[in-house]
Amino acid sequence: MAKRSMLPRLSRHWPLALVLLMLLLWSLAGRGLADALFLPVWVVATQLIVAGSLEAARLQRRAWLDQYLFDDSPWHRWLRGGLVMVLRHQLVGALLALVLLVKLRLLPLVAWPLLLAGAAGLVLARQWMRRRLARHVIGERLPAVTRRLLVPPVAGLLALVLVVAAFWLPQPWLVGLGWEEAIADHLPGDEGGSLLAFFERLAASAEVTQYWAMQNAMERLLLGPLMTLLGWLLLLLTQGVVAWAYVRLLVGVDALRRERPAVTRRHREESP
Amino acid sequence: MTASRASLPDSRERRCLPGGWRRWMPTLLVVAPLLLLLEGGHRWLESRSQAPLFRVIVAGESLTLDAETHAAFSRDLAALTDDARGRLAARMTPWVEARLAAAFAPLEAAVPGYLDWYFSATGSYTRLGVALVGDLDGWLDEQLHSRLVEPSGIEAALAELQADYPRRLAREQQRLTDALATTLQARYAPRQADAEEGDGALAALDLDGVLQRSLHDGLDRSRWNVAAVGGGGAGLLAGRAMAARLGSTTAVQGSRMVVRSLTARLGAGTARALLGGGAAAAASAPTGPGALVAGTVTTAATLAGIAGSEFALLKAQKALQRPAMQAQLQEELARTRAAMALTLEASTAGAARALEERLARAASPEEVQTPETYRILGRRDE
Repeated sequence: MAKRSMLPRLSRHWPLALVLLMLLLWSLAGRGLADALFLPVWVVATQLIVAGSLEAARLQRRAWLDQYLFDDSPWHRWLRGGLVMVLRHQLVGALLALVLLVKLRLLPLVAWPLLLAGAAGLVLARQWMRRRLARHVIGERLPAVTRRLLVPPVAGLLALVLVVAAFWLPQPWLVGLGWEEAIADHLPGDEGGSLLAFFERLAASAEVTQYWAMQNAMERLLLGPLMTLLGWLLLLLTQGVVAWAYVRLLVGVDALRRERPAVTRRHREESP
Repeated sequence: MTASRASLPDSRERRCLPGGWRRWMPTLLVVAPLLLLLEGGHRWLESRSQAPLFRVIVAGESLTLDAETHAAFSRDLAALTDDARGRLAARMTPWVEARLAAAFAPLEAAVPGYLDWYFSATGSYTRLGVALVGDLDGWLDEQLHSRLVEPSGIEAALAELQADYPRRLAREQQRLTDALATTLQARYAPRQADAEEGDGALAALDLDGVLQRSLHDGLDRSRWNVAAVGGGGAGLLAGRAMAARLGSTTAVQGSRMVVRSLTARLGAGTARALLGGGAAAAASAPTGPGALVAGTVTTAATLAGIAGSEFALLKAQKALQRPAMQAQLQEELARTRAAMALTLEASTAGAARALEERLARAASPEEVQTPETYRILGRRDE
């Protein structure tokens, strides 16, 4: 009984599984393949992130407009969120997707169970939250509101888990080294000259810097508080950005799937 | 780039259904130019940044090498230091051998004289007397020291060697490293890369400094080793210890056994009588006026008896044992010499190894002896 009810529930989430599989395979792929598929994967990831964030932004804008404008004002259409909003979100989404993708390639395999568990947790949390919200939120807005409320807690939790994982995972030993030595010793140098490799090196150097600052701060060497702060900020920032982008991306899968009917419905409403 | 474009439609078809174009186009329009822009920036950066340059300070000159030449330089350095040990040993060994030969020659020359005394009538009877009175071993060591070791001057010679050795080692090492640096400098000075002015961020390897430090390293180690030689470690340089070592050879032991057995045969009573007579004889010198008068009749008779019956035995002992004893003493001296030479050689090798290690560490700095990994949480080794 339970199995039969689980199966359709699982099959409902095939786009999510497909996207996760794509990310996993791409992040584990060899250099040549990853380079070749960089643009399509980037486009897909950007699209998914933008779908979620654009939906949330439109929702917010609409609430704001409803608060201040007459129902029949043409400003509703002008300020609904057009090219500028789309472009802004596309740009931010593209950068977020870039950070996420590059970071995913540097992520050790151990971290992937965490990410997959995060995806499963997101699905479960969404169902739970939708049930809780169903009594209070207008039915048409329910999925969008659920997604919007879901992103901060899940992303925060995932970021926390990733930070703890970063503490626990072995790091290269950088205690007592100068920063330049640390970079020179631990940055992989022979990784080819493609753009992706360049970004990976950039991310790796940020990671080494972060490890270096944190380790030397932990070992109470004479390192200024500024450097310590830099290490912690880098850690929190990168893990936070990764978690946030990842959750946004997963939510975006859902948003992209569900939005089309809503869009056509709105079109039908507006066209007469 | 073309490959990624070619595979693009697939992923798009997979992800979006008809009508999704409006949604996907902006993303593509944003991401593709962004990619082109970043790619261009990357190319520009790449064209701007040259290949990494390395600066090597060798033989007082600063050489700027590109990556390829630097790798060749590192290989050459490794090859040159590889046989540094052999070359240093080849230079040090003859010198050490000569010095040791010079130090040991008087000692070896003094052996026949010592044996002359040992098997002479005086020596034999004094030995006999000491054997009767008490500590023959200690007395013999004393005799070895005062008659063999001390006159040969080996203690002073070895102390001088101990002082000279580190100086010589330092000089040889200096010459070796100078030759190494000069070779490398001559080989790589014409192969320098052009570096722009103010290009300060070079990975610099101060080979001169490394060599200098390695010299100090090796010196410290050789000093320590020689100190071990001179101190309790092998105990070779102390004259008294050497006397004990010389005295412990089997032939010498054998002759000592003969003396002991003789004492036993003489019996306790005779020994006591000898003691009294001996004391009297010692109190008045044999050449002194009342020598014979002072000696009691019994003592004189006993001594005469011993002289009569045992003299032949001592003669035979001398004929039989002297060659063996001489050979054993010579052999022991040679062994001591060889041991010293070995110790000094090991010290030389240690210095050379220190040089090699430091150079290897300088050539490949990633092989620093630090733990591999660091964990903030869940450390296992604490």
